[in-house]
Amino acid sequence: MTRYNIWFYISLFIAGIVALPIITVFFSFFSETSNYFTLLKNTFLFDYINNSLIILVSVLVITFFIGVISAYFVSFYDFPFSNFFSWSLILAFAIPGYIFGFSIIAFFENYGTAYTILTNLFGEHNYNPLIPKFDSLVGSIIAISFSLFPYVFVLTRSSFLFQSNNYIEVGKNLGLTEKETFLKIILPSARPAIIAGLALVSMECLSDFGTVSFFSVNTLTTGIYNSWLSYDDLNTANQISFILLIFILLLFSVELYSRREAKYHQPSRGFKPINKIRLTGKKSIIPFLFCLTIFFISFVFPVTQMIFWTVKFPKYFQDIDILKINLNTLYLVGLASIFLVFISLLINFGSRISKSKILNYLTNFSISGYAIPGVILAVAFITFFSNLSDLITNNFNIGNTKNLFIGSISGLILAYFVRFFSLSFNGIKSSYEKINNSIDESAYLLGYSKVKTFSKIHVPYLKNNIILIVVLISLEVIKELPITMILRPFNFETFATQAFVYASQDLLEAAALPSLFLIGWSTILILFSTKYILSPKN
Amino acid sequence: MEKTMNKLIKTIGFGIVGLFSTILVASSVLADGHSKEVNIFSARHYDSDVQLYEKFTAKTGIKVNVVSGKSGALEKRIIAEAGTADLYITADAGRLGAFQANLQGGLTSSTIKSAVPSNFRTSKWVGIAKRARIVYFAPERVSGAELAGLTYESLADSKWRGRLVIRASNNIYNQSLVASLIKNNGKGKVAEWSKGMVKNMARAPKGNDRAQILAVAAGEADIAVANTYYLALMLSGKKGAEQQAAAKKVKPFFPNQDGRGTHMNISGAGLVKGAPNKANAIKLVEFLLSEEAQNHIVNNTFEYPMIAGVSPHPLVVNMGLDFKQDLKTKVVNYGKRQADALEVMTAAGWK
Repeated sequence: MTRYNIWFYISLFIAGIVALPIITVFFSFFSETSNYFTLLKNTFLFDYINNSLIILVSVLVITFFIGVISAYFVSFYDFPFSNFFSWSLILAFAIPGYIFGFSIIAFFENYGTAYTILTNLFGEHNYNPLIPKFDSLVGSIIAISFSLFPYVFVLTRSSFLFQSNNYIEVGKNLGLTEKETFLKIILPSARPAIIAGLALVSMECLSDFGTVSFFSVNTLTTGIYNSWLSYDDLNTANQISFILLIFILLLFSVELYSRREAKYHQPSRGFKPINKIRLTGKKSIIPFLFCLTIFFISFVFPVTQMIFWTVKFPKYFQDIDILKINLNTLYLVGLASIFLVFISLLINFGSRISKSKILNYLTNFSISGYAIPGVILAVAFITFFSNLSDLITNNFNIGNTKNLFIGSISGLILAYFVRFFSLSFNGIKSSYEKINNSIDESAYLLGYSKVKTFSKIHVPYLKNNIILIVVLISLEVIKELPITMILRPFNFETFATQAFVYASQDLLEAAALPSLFLIGWSTILILFSTKYILSPKN
Repeated sequence: MEKTMNKLIKTIGFGIVGLFSTILVASSVLADGHSKEVNIFSARHYDSDVQLYEKFTAKTGIKVNVVSGKSGALEKRIIAEAGTADLYITADAGRLGAFQANLQGGLTSSTIKSAVPSNFRTSKWVGIAKRARIVYFAPERVSGAELAGLTYESLADSKWRGRLVIRASNNIYNQSLVASLIKNNGKGKVAEWSKGMVKNMARAPKGNDRAQILAVAAGEADIAVANTYYLALMLSGKKGAEQQAAAKKVKPFFPNQDGRGTHMNISGAGLVKGAPNKANAIKLVEFLLSEEAQNHIVNNTFEYPMIAGVSPHPLVVNMGLDFKQDLKTKVVNYGKRQADALEVMTAAGWK
């Protein structure tokens, strides 16, 4: 029996750590608040909810159209560059919403890049009134939409890939036009994948901090931050977090449910891959232009703007210690990956050999860390460790223990662990489940110990999967802003924090170089991982 | 079976302990225990400040540790990490005032007292550099007669309807300006004034101070409210040739010259409660107030020097130095009246 207990306690411990923010938020929901909450309820709260909803709905509509239509074009048609678009549209993942926001402001502001271009083309003139201005809300919506649409694109596309040509032929036999086939057959059968993509978009959108804070739009997420900061009111912050969490957990269950649904829609027998329709001449113009426009706006535009600035203001090559930031990033990425992958393997292995159902519930529960916006996580993290440290200091004769987890690398890694555990755990779990149990039995018969089975059979089998997970973790860590911003130690910057610090200091041109590095590394990682994501066997 | 399990658990146990200790050792090496150091939480993070800290280290051998960020988050960390921070540096007296309870007295050396006029310091925090919040106008559309005798108060007059741009109410510079108005005119009058301001806005508030000045240059508005150093920054060409040309289309105007003078604010440093390196922190503040450091600051940030005997950057000199500064309204009031300021602006619908 002991072996159940050991795995049980280890999983319980890990689940406990990951669930810390949720528990902290939940408990402070019932504690006293200052009258700021009343003030907030009367004045701002409605505004926060309103802005959050406007952004959410608009982003959903935009990402739905962009994601589904582009996925449809590249999956069912063969037109110039369609293969190129099938992976290049994913590169938008390399541009965080806040960097997209910097680009929008830089390009469209009075005397900005658009003005420079017009002046160079047509000579001196006050073009400023002619250049469209995106106000804060519209700017945020555009920036968030273009940085998140790949979720819809990737999931919809992979669902299209698995759609059998048989269905489409049935449609043809029934005399449906291409448009009718799309609306009545293709779209409904891809529905679970689209919903799953949109649910991910919603979660990311609601937890966005960098973009809305750059555009100074008040949403539930910035509201939490502000009530915590400006009014020193942690309980209010936690209470708004609670409202936000309800939103997000709802979406989270929608996503889980859709995933489950999606499984039933995967074809088994009689699967025929899609015969892409070849488009030439005039007919190919619409899909080509559509995909090109999306690729241009989502990737080429921000990258060019950042390059333009880096070249125009070369002084920041000297001012910014870019090598150090590279090393910092590598350090964080390395530690976070090792830590996350190691624990994920451990829990998966434990769950496998103990065959305990309780473990499944526990591990499912611990996944909730992903659903929590980074900024809330950081707030809850500081609350928890600040209180814990006081408790320790008051009861035991130990000095200040706060610096162990607040403003330290260990604290940062622990917070990343909470945030990205579900990504790593689930990623490894999905592959681990594919290893048949009979393989383990055979290994035992051959005299392999459990440890040896793990290291000689499981790990080599999971190797590719582990690489993919490390890539995804790295991508997330490189782009992560609020947690790093709030918890980082002295003299320590990442690309994201350096760019954001400059941007909030009205030095967007200085933010270009770190942004460019961030985009560069992310692009490399995405290109590397598309090799795995896009190959149909995964 | 038991044996292999024990072995496995041991391996795993060692693995976890190993990982944790690696991280802890690594992070303690990063934040290693210099005895000669000073820890700064800075909401003002110009590269030129970093160069200044390097000069200080070269002079004194005291290592300067910096964590930068937005003022709010930094304040929270200073509190949560009690006993870590020595100095809190920020670009607004309102911030320092509002954070008073977490600061301690001690910035009272004769060097500091003789360098900084008394209305720009308390025992807990002192100004390092000055800036004025002024009006910018487009000479093509605003005549000298229209501007004559302009005050912050009269910006709410109906003659400016639809012609004014200013930042959002959540901006600390605006909160400090409005706090000073409340101190001088009373909350009720300023509530009315805020309503007038909102009516006069050419557009809903957006962007930073520089964007307000650019809006006047672009013809979106006739007058703007912004800090002094932004115009000099653009005129210097550091923001590119386009903005340099745009800045030349706009002229500065210093309000309230016939009365108490133009609204002044500071970049300042506060001594944090429980500072572990208090003596070093005071040394750093004294260094920042030295002639060498002041020259460095004014030539990089285009602020006004805090001490006498140092000249601002030539571009700032060109904007005019013979204006009357408001030395009557103590900057401590910006923190005290901050909540009132935000309340009247929000009530008036100032976004």
